[in-house]
Amino acid sequence: MAALNPTDIINAGEHVFIKMPSDNVKCIVLKAGSSVSLGKFGTFKANDIIGHAWGNSYEIYDRDSKTRVYHPEGISEVEETANNNREIVDDPTSQKLTLDDIKALKSEGLKGELTGEEIVNKLKESHATFDKKTAYSQAKYLQKKGKKFHKVFTPIKPTAYSVNEYFYVKNPSKIRDIRMDTLSQLLSYSNVHSGCKLLVVDDTQGMIVSALAERMGGKGTILGLYDGDNPHYDIVKYMNFNQEILDTIKVLSWLRIHRPTDEKTPDEMQDVTQLTGKDLEGYHRRLKAYNIVEESRKTLFEGNFDALIVASQYQPESILEKLLPYVAGSRPVIVYHGTKEALLETSTWMRRCPNLLAPQLTESWLRKSQVLPGRTHPEMSTWGTGGSLLTATKVIDQPVQAALTKRERLAMEKKNAEAKRLKRAREEAESAASSPAPAPAAASVEDVADEAVGGKEEGSASTTVMDDGDESRSIKRAKQE
Amino acid sequence: MSLATKHTFATYKKNNTIENGDLVVLYLSKENLILIRIQEDQEFCCKFGNYKHADMVGLQYGTKLGSNTGRGFVFLLYPTPELWTLILPHRTQILYIADISLIMSYLDLKPGKVMIESGTGSGSFSHSIARTIAPGGHLYTFEYHQERVAVATKEFEEHGLEGLVTIECRDVCKNGFGLINKVDAVFLDLPAPWEAVASAKQAFRQDKIGKICTFSPCIEQISKTVTALTEQGFVDIQMYECLIRFNEVRILQISTLDEALEMERASEKKRKRALPRVLRESFKNRLQQHEQGSGSNTDHDQEDMEGEEKGESTVKKTRVDDGDHSSQGTSTSSTVGTPSSRSYADVFIPDDSAEPRESIEPKNVAVTRLPVEQRGHTSYLLFATFTPATQQPSLTERNKAGAAITASK
Repeated sequence: MAALNPTDIINAGEHVFIKMPSDNVKCIVLKAGSSVSLGKFGTFKANDIIGHAWGNSYEIYDRDSKTRVYHPEGISEVEETANNNREIVDDPTSQKLTLDDIKALKSEGLKGELTGEEIVNKLKESHATFDKKTAYSQAKYLQKKGKKFHKVFTPIKPTAYSVNEYFYVKNPSKIRDIRMDTLSQLLSYSNVHSGCKLLVVDDTQGMIVSALAERMGGKGTILGLYDGDNPHYDIVKYMNFNQEILDTIKVLSWLRIHRPTDEKTPDEMQDVTQLTGKDLEGYHRRLKAYNIVEESRKTLFEGNFDALIVASQYQPESILEKLLPYVAGSRPVIVYHGTKEALLETSTWMRRCPNLLAPQLTESWLRKSQVLPGRTHPEMSTWGTGGSLLTATKVIDQPVQAALTKRERLAMEKKNAEAKRLKRAREEAESAASSPAPAPAAASVEDVADEAVGGKEEGSASTTVMDDGDESRSIKRAKQE
Repeated sequence: MSLATKHTFATYKKNNTIENGDLVVLYLSKENLILIRIQEDQEFCCKFGNYKHADMVGLQYGTKLGSNTGRGFVFLLYPTPELWTLILPHRTQILYIADISLIMSYLDLKPGKVMIESGTGSGSFSHSIARTIAPGGHLYTFEYHQERVAVATKEFEEHGLEGLVTIECRDVCKNGFGLINKVDAVFLDLPAPWEAVASAKQAFRQDKIGKICTFSPCIEQISKTVTALTEQGFVDIQMYECLIRFNEVRILQISTLDEALEMERASEKKRKRALPRVLRESFKNRLQQHEQGSGSNTDHDQEDMEGEEKGESTVKKTRVDDGDHSSQGTSTSSTVGTPSSRSYADVFIPDDSAEPRESIEPKNVAVTRLPVEQRGHTSYLLFATFTPATQQPSLTERNKAGAAITASK
C-alpha cells in the first residue's frame, strides 16, 4: 500500500467545498489557523480538519468551535403504521414550544450542551400531533428539522465532478450550463488520457479545461485558444492542481496565432547588454512572456492534436474551419453548446465537410432519485438543461474512384463477354487451322480482347473522381446495394 | 506481440501511422465497424470489394481507402474504448457511453487510480477504465463465468491492456474480492451487488476516501443494496439515471402557404385546368354577398371597418405632411393599406396581373428528430462514499478528555 498523496488529504491554502446540513455548499480557501463561519450552523477551526483525509463529516459540538468526526446513524426502514393524515389539520399550535424556547434550545446547542439530534428530539416530543403523522411524514419531519439544527458539515474535495456540481447549482451560466453527465460524455468522446495533446476553445470559464487536465494527470498538453485580454479559466483555480498539472495547460490568443508584422522580439526592442536594474528585469519579463507565446505557437503549428474541443460563444463552424487542419486523423472533434439549436447549422456543415465523419448531435438526460429504504422515488424536481454535444471524427479525405454506375457496369460486362467470345473463337480457329502463319483476322481479335480487359480500369478512370461532398451519396449507394 | 501494439487502446500511437501488426477499426458505416489486425499478406473482403492490408500500411489513421473494385470505401480508424463499445461481440448486456461516462466521473477516475470491477461481462467498461487510469493505475476485474474470462483475457492481451488489468475468475458474492486495503473505487454490476458490499468495504484503502457505484436494472435490487451500504457505513448514497438522446438533424424545406398556392396555380395554368374567369367572378361575388350579410348583423364589425378606414386616412395625411419625401413612402403606405381595404375573400383571390412563378426556393430550416424508439432505461446508478478511518480520537475519548479538562479547571 502506497503512502497517501498530498491530494488525498485536506491541505491548508487550498479550495474546499463545505457541505452544510441544509445541503448548501460553501466554497472556501482553507487558511491555517483561521476560523470558518458556517452561519447559523456555527464556526469551526480550520486546523481541526487540515491534514485529515478527505471523506469524513464533522460535528461542531461546543462554543469553542470544537469539532469531532461525525458518524451518521444508519437510515432505518420506515415501518408502515395505521396512521394516516385524516386527523391532521393545519394548526400552528401543534408545536408546544414557543419561538423563544426554540431560540433557547438553539443557543444551548451552540454552547455544546445539546446536540442537533437532541434538539430535534425535543421538537418532536413537544409536537402535539407527531404521533399521528404517517411514518413517512414523521421521517420527513425529522429530516427537515435535522437540516436546520444539526451542526454537521462535510469538507468536499474539489474534483471535476464536485466542482461542476457546485457551479451547476450555484451559477450554471458561468459554465454555460454544462452539467456533469454532459461533461463526462465529452471526456469519453474526447478519449482524453495521460499524455495526449488537445486543442481546446473553452468559454465555460475553464470547466472543460479543468476536467481534461484532471484526466491527463500532468502528462501531455492542452492548448487553449482565447479571445480578449486573458484566458478566463477561473474554474482551474478551484481544482487545487499541482504545478505539474498546471504546466500542461498552455494558452494562445487568437490574435497572436500569427506573429503580427510589427511585433518585435525583446531582443529586437532592446539591446540586453546595455540594460541594468529595472530595465533588465523588465526585459526578462518580456522575454519570458514572449517565449511562452512562441512556445504555444509552436505547439499549434506542429499540429497532430489528439482532439479538438470547442465550447465557444462564437459560431462553431468558424472555429472548426480554422482549427481542423491541426487535428490528426481518426481523432475526435467535439462541439459543446448550451442549446441544441445553436449546433444544428454546425451539424449540417459537418455533414458537408469531407474531413469529418459521422457527426452526431446528442443531449443527455439525468434524473436523481431519493433513495431511502421503502421511500425510493425520483426527486420532485430535476434538471432541465445540461447542454448538447456535437461529435465527429476527423478523417483524411482522399479521392476514391467512384463506383461504376449500373450502365457503365453493364457496358463493361457486355464488352468483356464479347471479348471472351472472340477469344474462344480465336482459340477454336487456332486449334482448327493448322496453318503456321496467324490469320490477320486473329490479330485484330487479340486487340479487341486486350482493350476489353483494360476496359474496366478505363471505365472507372473515366467516371469522375468523387468530389468532396459526395461521400454520403456514395455511402447511400453502397447501402442500397 | 511487437512493441508497436503496446497499450493500443490506452494510448495513441506517436506517429499515427498504420504498420504491420497494428490494430485498425474499419469504418464501413455507422452500424458496421470491424476491428482487424494488419497482416501484410491478408486482405479484408466485403461485398463492396477487397481491401489489402498491405495497402493500409504506411497510411495515417483516419484515411479514407477505396476498395479494389472502386465500389466502396472504408475509413481506417484508431481503436479507442468508445469504438470498442460499438464493435465488441456481446456476451452479456453491456454498458454504454452515458453510464460509463457518468460512473467514471463520479468514481473520480484518473491516471494512477486503483479500481475493482465486477463482473467483467463483455469488457466494454473495462477498456474505458484501463484507458483512464493509465499509467500507474490498475484495474482488478472479476467474472464468475469461465468462458467470458477466457475471451476477455485474450482481448485485454490483444488490446495491449495486460499490464493495466488483472482478470480473475471468481464468484465475488460468495468468496469476496480477496483484496484488502487496496483500491480507490469499486464498481459492481452483479445480480446481487449487496452480497459483495462487505468485501468491497475491506478492499478499499482504509486511510482515504473511496467511491463505490453499483449498477442494477431493478429498483428492488437498489433497495437491498442501499440497506447493505448503510449497514457497512457508506455515506452520501445517491441514485441517478442517465440517458443520451441521439438527435437526427434534418433540413426541412418549408414554403409559405402563398408560395405553395402560387406553385399550384402555375401548374394549373399549365394544365389549362384553371377555373374559367366567369366562374371565378361569380364565386367572388357570392363570397362578398355572404360577408356583407353576416357583417351587418353586428355593429362591432362596422366600427372596425370604419376604424380601419380612419387609420388609413391618417396614414395618407402623414404622407402629405411629409411632403415630397420619396416614392418609398408611397409604396409602404399602399401596402399597409391593402389588407384592410381588401375583403376577406380577396385574400384568397390571386392578383391576375402577376405571372405565377413555377419554381420557388423554400426556406431551409434545420430541425432535429428523435428516433421513434430509443433507450428508456439502462440501469439505476447507485453511488456511495467510503469514509476513511479517522486518526482523531473517538467520540467518547474526546468527551472524556473534555470532561477531564473541565474537572481540572
